[in-house]
Amino acid sequence: MKSSIWKWNTRTVVTIGIGAALYGATSWIGIPIAPDTQLRPAVALLAIFGALFGPVVGFVAGLIGHVINDFLTSGTVWWGWALGSGITAAFMGLIYLSKGFNPQDGEIRKGHVVRFLIYGLVGIFVSLAFSGLFDIYVMGEPNDKIIIQTVTAGLANTAVFVILGIPAVWAYAKRNRNNTNLTVER
Amino acid sequence: MSKAGNLFVEGDSLFHRMDGAVKLILLLTWTVSTFLFLDLRIFAVMLSAGIGMLLLSRIPFRRMALLFWVLMVFTLINSIFILIITPRFGSTLTGSNTPLIPVGYDTINAETLFYVLTLSAKYLTLLPVTMLFIFTTHPSRFAASLNKLGVHYKMAYAVSIAFRYIPDLTQEFKNILNAMQMRGMGISRGDGNLWRRMKNLSLVVVPLLQSSLQHIESVSNAMDLRGFGTGSKRTWYMGMPMSRSDKWMLLLCVLLLVAAILLKGFWAEKFWYPF
Repeated sequence: MKSSIWKWNTRTVVTIGIGAALYGATSWIGIPIAPDTQLRPAVALLAIFGALFGPVVGFVAGLIGHVINDFLTSGTVWWGWALGSGITAAFMGLIYLSKGFNPQDGEIRKGHVVRFLIYGLVGIFVSLAFSGLFDIYVMGEPNDKIIIQTVTAGLANTAVFVILGIPAVWAYAKRNRNNTNLTVER
Repeated sequence: MSKAGNLFVEGDSLFHRMDGAVKLILLLTWTVSTFLFLDLRIFAVMLSAGIGMLLLSRIPFRRMALLFWVLMVFTLINSIFILIITPRFGSTLTGSNTPLIPVGYDTINAETLFYVLTLSAKYLTLLPVTMLFIFTTHPSRFAASLNKLGVHYKMAYAVSIAFRYIPDLTQEFKNILNAMQMRGMGISRGDGNLWRRMKNLSLVVVPLLQSSLQHIESVSNAMDLRGFGTGSKRTWYMGMPMSRSDKWMLLLCVLLLVAAILLKGFWAEKFWYPF
């Protein structure tokens, strides 16, 4: 059963906490693809938590998780990119609101996957545009360098989203479908 | 990693006794003040003040060394990258152009070199206060202080759970990794090429996610049983009343922020270049 995304019950609180811990503790896994830019498989978690629990949980878990990761591994919080993680998860979580989508009960259709893909791509674009502009205007970084970093990060995030994120949500929904493949006999 | 699941170091310095909320405000005002400028003089003053405070907290250097080197390597790579991609970016800020080092397709000029130095100083300025915050604040106390700052207690509790859950997660991660290793899917050097090892590492995430989803159920049931979320307010076991020194620190933070905004508004140029 899906509850309203604005209602905060105990489960929401715990989901955010554990999602953030999961994202924060696995973000160090990465392959450097451009200077100070990594391909992080953990981005798939944003897609999974967004799709399973909605945009609000996704946003907060992504933000807190990123801040924790920065605390533990870099000593400085990169606020622009932390908010970027949250924004990505929030957009990916929009799929949670679409009708008939409910991976907990195994309800997912091909149309949902297409929509999930579109939301995810828009989310990745918006979040990186935000992080890039934040770095240019607040941190004072040169434009050309930021463009290289955001474009590579965008490609990496898209790859992780398509290769790991979407199949993971699909597989999760399918796994939960087992108990619903009964037919009515007439 | 300590038992508390973060970098917290036990101690009894001025900053250990300080209220978590005040330290968080200090971190935020410090960050905002740094963000406002691109001026080496201001960063030099703030960096010295930050290092002074860090020394006062008497955190062992051994603990701080790792984060310090991580950030140093980060800024170094960042600087080299900027110099290679945009060797003459500094000119767009200063309007002058003093060629210095030829790099084939272009010439790195003195302005860009100075700009890179300023930018690195900007990042370094953020380090001491962030370290001060993470090394001297107990995570439970941190949640209590977030609540004190007006963040809803459910949100504060989510942050608290996140910190609390990381050591469990690390343990779980190791267990799964060991189990995978037994099946020949390890991540050490003998287990195959780099691609294979990366793939094995990312495969750990799936069972980790499964067990986490189960944890969500059990933890939220346990919290429901104890009546979490019934009241509109909550008290904290680790909460502390504000002391006099906390109030002084708060005043200092406000002064810092006002000074930074005034400096920015009336006096500072966008980028300080002395030559």
